[in-house]
Amino acid sequence: MIFRTANSRTSPTIRKVRTGTALRPLRHRLDPARVEEIPFRAGDGVRLGLTRVDSGERDRPAVLLLHGHTASADMFLLPETRNLVDALLDGGYEPWLLDWRGSCRLPYNETGQRYTYDDVALHDIPDAVSCIRERIGDRPLFVVAHCIGSLTLSLSMTAGLVPGLAGVVSQGVFLTPKLAGRTSLRMTVAGELLKNRIDHIPVDFRKVGLRSRYTPLFALASRGAHCPDPTCQILHNSAWGSGASLFLHENLSDATHDRLAELLGPAPLWILPHLRRIELARTVVRWHDTDHRYRALPPNALDAAARIDTPVLLLAGSENGLWLDSQKLCHDVLAHRQPQLDVSYTEIPAYGHLDTFLGRGAALDVFGHILEFLDDRR
Amino acid sequence: MSEVNEDASAHAGQRAIGEAIERGDGGPSVDELLARISQAAASSATGPVVEPGVGAVAEPGAGPAAGPGADTSVSLAGAGAPTDTDASAATSGAGDAFSGEPAVSSDAGTEGGPQGAGAGAGTDAGTDPGAGAGAGAGAGAGAGADVDALAAVVAAAAGPFVPGGLLAPDADFFDAGGSSVGAVELVAVLEDELGMELDLDEVFADARPSSLARRWLATAGASAALQALSAPTATAVLSPGAPTVPAPGGPAVPAAGGHAVPAAARTTVPATGTSTVPAAGTTGGTQPPKGALAPVAPASAPSWNPAPTTPGTNHPLFPSPHPVPPRATVTARTPEDRTPYATARPEDLDQILADLALADRLPWTGAPEPLPPRRILLTGATGFLGSHLLLDLLRHSDAHVYCLVRAESEEAATARLGEALKGHRLPWSAEIRRRVTVLPGDIRRPRLGLSDEVWNRLAHELDSIVGVAAAVDFLRGYRSLRQSNVIGALTLAELAATGTPKPLHHISSIAVFNEVGISSMGEDDPLAHVDRLVAGYDQSKWTAEVALRRARDHGLIVTALRPGGIGGHTRTGAHNPQDLSSGLISAFGRFRTVPAFHRLNAAPVDWVSRVAAAVVCEPDAWGFDYNLTGVPNTLDDVVRDMAFGGMHVRVQDWDEWRADALARLEAEPVPELAFLSRVLQSPTALKLCEATLKGPAATDERTAALVEALGLTPAARYDARAQLRTFERLAEDGLARLPHKDDQPYLWFTETTEGTLGPAGAGDGDRYGDGDGAEADMPGPPGTAADTPCSMALTLSIASMYQLVKERRVDVRGELVCAALHSAPLRVESGDAWIRPEEGIPQRHGTRGQLLRYRMTLIDADGGRWWLEGHKTARARRDVWRQTRALSVEIGREREPAILAGELVVPADSYVRDQIDGIRVDPRLTSREKRAAKLTWLAWFGAEMGRGLLNPFARAAADLLDLRPARTPSERHR
Repeated sequence: MIFRTANSRTSPTIRKVRTGTALRPLRHRLDPARVEEIPFRAGDGVRLGLTRVDSGERDRPAVLLLHGHTASADMFLLPETRNLVDALLDGGYEPWLLDWRGSCRLPYNETGQRYTYDDVALHDIPDAVSCIRERIGDRPLFVVAHCIGSLTLSLSMTAGLVPGLAGVVSQGVFLTPKLAGRTSLRMTVAGELLKNRIDHIPVDFRKVGLRSRYTPLFALASRGAHCPDPTCQILHNSAWGSGASLFLHENLSDATHDRLAELLGPAPLWILPHLRRIELARTVVRWHDTDHRYRALPPNALDAAARIDTPVLLLAGSENGLWLDSQKLCHDVLAHRQPQLDVSYTEIPAYGHLDTFLGRGAALDVFGHILEFLDDRR
Repeated sequence: MSEVNEDASAHAGQRAIGEAIERGDGGPSVDELLARISQAAASSATGPVVEPGVGAVAEPGAGPAAGPGADTSVSLAGAGAPTDTDASAATSGAGDAFSGEPAVSSDAGTEGGPQGAGAGAGTDAGTDPGAGAGAGAGAGAGAGADVDALAAVVAAAAGPFVPGGLLAPDADFFDAGGSSVGAVELVAVLEDELGMELDLDEVFADARPSSLARRWLATAGASAALQALSAPTATAVLSPGAPTVPAPGGPAVPAAGGHAVPAAARTTVPATGTSTVPAAGTTGGTQPPKGALAPVAPASAPSWNPAPTTPGTNHPLFPSPHPVPPRATVTARTPEDRTPYATARPEDLDQILADLALADRLPWTGAPEPLPPRRILLTGATGFLGSHLLLDLLRHSDAHVYCLVRAESEEAATARLGEALKGHRLPWSAEIRRRVTVLPGDIRRPRLGLSDEVWNRLAHELDSIVGVAAAVDFLRGYRSLRQSNVIGALTLAELAATGTPKPLHHISSIAVFNEVGISSMGEDDPLAHVDRLVAGYDQSKWTAEVALRRARDHGLIVTALRPGGIGGHTRTGAHNPQDLSSGLISAFGRFRTVPAFHRLNAAPVDWVSRVAAAVVCEPDAWGFDYNLTGVPNTLDDVVRDMAFGGMHVRVQDWDEWRADALARLEAEPVPELAFLSRVLQSPTALKLCEATLKGPAATDERTAALVEALGLTPAARYDARAQLRTFERLAEDGLARLPHKDDQPYLWFTETTEGTLGPAGAGDGDRYGDGDGAEADMPGPPGTAADTPCSMALTLSIASMYQLVKERRVDVRGELVCAALHSAPLRVESGDAWIRPEEGIPQRHGTRGQLLRYRMTLIDADGGRWWLEGHKTARARRDVWRQTRALSVEIGREREPAILAGELVVPADSYVRDQIDGIRVDPRLTSREKRAAKLTWLAWFGAEMGRGLLNPFARAAADLLDLRPARTPSERHR
């Protein structure tokens, strides 16, 4: 009887979801004195992260790096491989890293403080650009953007909110997002089934444990996977349950592979309706049709593509398992509909989506194209 | 494998020269020729001065050839005797390179193990001096001079075809940078200007001007002296017992001659060309080598190479010949009356055995540290495999890579490497340059052409060596290839064994098995019998691998990686345009025929280089043999693949196919495929092709195990999908040919549309595709009467499924009848229809997705030109059936805005009749192929239309779903 107090059926430890807006520290191997964190809030009061890497010179062109949704500025600072910030510093540029509200260094993906990509395009990117402009004066400013960072940037650009950029490198997807039919279908079905039960899909199995409501998701994601790591499975094999593939497994170094849970965070489900609308329209459309605070954004970014006033380099891995050949499609469509724009397309053979920045050979295969583009226009 | 000796650019200036060779307009008489030669010799006296000792050096054989009366037995065919000299010369030279002590090489003959080598050397010792003696006797001295002079003339003629513009008479034409095309042109020039009729294959076998001169003199046989020589040849060869070497007296002379040649004699050689000189030149002329020869003729650079040095002045000649017996046996194996090209040429075998013996001079060495490499030396980085391997080494290791590149300076070498990488569609950026050090050098030269300081530094700093460089040429003979493929490999082995022990990773080739009738090609199976390898390339790769096997006994860790055919990159399509497999694939596609073969051992370059890089970086994998052949393609696979791509091919017997392909290439010459014609005409290369096509599948258990252990992509069959990019690039380069609009269509059907047109919409004069919208262009604005009846009768066709899948385009022909435009029908001059263009993205914000877009240029009976733009669009409405048939069109005069707009509809009853039942397929196909083609089209087209029609409905459904209320689950606690 005395033993009954030690109830074996205690409820599992309650894990608190992070709610504070303090940024998780960056992981890098730069001299800490050279990394300057700038306190930065978007126009609607949301705390974001803006980081400047000091090159020691005051007259370099600045390059703003935009990460993808659920990733963070860490994806450009991988300490284990030659990363884009290294390459930019050696190439004579001053890197700036924005953690927009979809960053996993920030809590918004998890806390349910909802946003749509309209907010990113209207607030985060234009405000960051003007903040940087205040600091750099009339030095040229480039943007290198990945995935959703690039997609929302296209909306900002077609809205005319970030005029006068010296050049834009877009990786993965730009104006014409295209998903595989299977991915699109799974995203819709899963989103509709789950949206009243959970509000985000985690990627780190260690944080949720074996007995959690997410276990079936991980189990589904492990179907047919070659890698036994559940985090890798839900990202590489399933892209948060959508069935797409985020990267080519062999392109990641072991160290990066083991850090995936740190590099990519949970994906919120409530963003799916906007993403679905964009995907079905095959172009970036704004979500808020009736909210006049968003009227600066065009209803359809492709129709407003004539407002793009800067050279654009569209990059894509030839094996992009998520956005497929969206970039090639974008190039073809813009060449046909807006022939006056300076848009070029470069395909990177044998690369997927995320590994164009995270891959161990990314410096050799990808960054050269980026630097070449920037060098031509600095 | 890289084309060390061939610059792609050299092929650019190709000229149709074949006829010139055919034109046998009976050359000049020998007297005339000699007259010309003497003139040329006089002039050449100045030329060769640049390279003293080279200009008039006669092959030693010239002597014996010249002194027929004295000794018929010497006549062992003009080519035989002299070439052996090289063997011993090279052997001795090798001694120099390795030990630095000339004395060591004196035992080349005896220690060489294989009798051939020893014998060969011994024989030379006997014969060469014979030359000296003969010259002393004065008999046929004139002829000796002829050979010299002729060689000089040939060299002068060959000069323009090599990069330097100058060719030493005993330098190999190809080693000096000449290309196969250059060789063809050279043959033509020689015939035109000198009347020398040389067989092209002879040139490929041994392309030194001196041996060309000698061979021609030996075969032309017009002069009495030469006849005297050539007549006995046959008999002498057939009687093994006949002493090759004069007699006791002969051997005695050489020693004297060899040692006695004074330095002074050398200098006089080139200028004079008198009777005694050739002899002196023979022995002495090539001795002074290093400084003098190297710049002009790298091939005849010192120690490792085959410059016709008689056994050196710096070491004793082999005193007493025990030469004959082994030599005779070698000869006896290939009697003259047997089929030519069935076996290796005896002189090549002798050379091979001599080269194998070089491996014995490698230093002893210990085991390398089993760690992933940090500093790698890579040769052949400018080649096809080498450049891909360079990138894979950089990607998958943290190593710094030193690239040995043939060039004068580091800048030139760097530029060359950059061009090569870009040419193979690989990146070349600062990120790559920071991890690569370019070393100007040459694998064919001693110590790789590096300075002693660099060599020593590399010997101590490197921790891995990857040898990819090789001359890949299926036409050239062993002698011409050995410097790159064998000596180069041995020099790398020497570097690997010097200083810190380093593993050597040698890119060999599946060609080491390339014997007709070999039973298996496993990784540890015995290699081919070298005497049954005919092509020089096969022989050279065999020799290199076997020599390196011997190096393993010296403690060296040698990995042999044997690719088969290396196909184009599966993603970039980068390929080797001069590669045989590129040529064959192109020919298959062009002629729609394939020769019957068993298996094609080919793998894409990306896989080969990835696995090779993995072996280099994985210490456990070092020291074994790997077949990097991937999954062999069977004949059925290839035929099915091509049919899948819409290219239905017919299988022919190899001989039939060859004759057919040659005839077609002759009838319609394709400059880019000229090399294929040459290969198909070269007896030795044919042997190689035959062995390749009829060989068994290579097996690769060890490679497969490695791939699995390291988690690499397993080998996959190099199928149509993987080849697609390559095929596109081949077509871009002009080798292959993609199906074209003007060809017989693959599939076609008719479409008739009827409707009414009216004046184009108010103010909407913009042409359709220029960004303005679909919605405004629908039927016609209300109020404007669309009352002019109009109809179109079109034929839609595709040239191949490729066109459909790749461009989503259908060719349109036919006519349009519309009284508002012209009373007579308008003819479609050119027209295209795109299926679901731009992924169906609406022209303007909305849900009207694009299904089909027509664009045509029309010509009316009076020659007036019109444009027509038509669209079929999908909407979320119930009239789906009509959406698939209704085409809204705009028509206007060329370069003017639209004047008519309206809607044309395919009548419901004719749709099924025309577009499903009425599909016609290329009549040349079998009925089964026709059914398949028709169904493929219907399935593809149906799926595309289905997707296009579904999209607006999906968007409407999504809008509904978005209305669904979502409870906000509070996931504060999980």
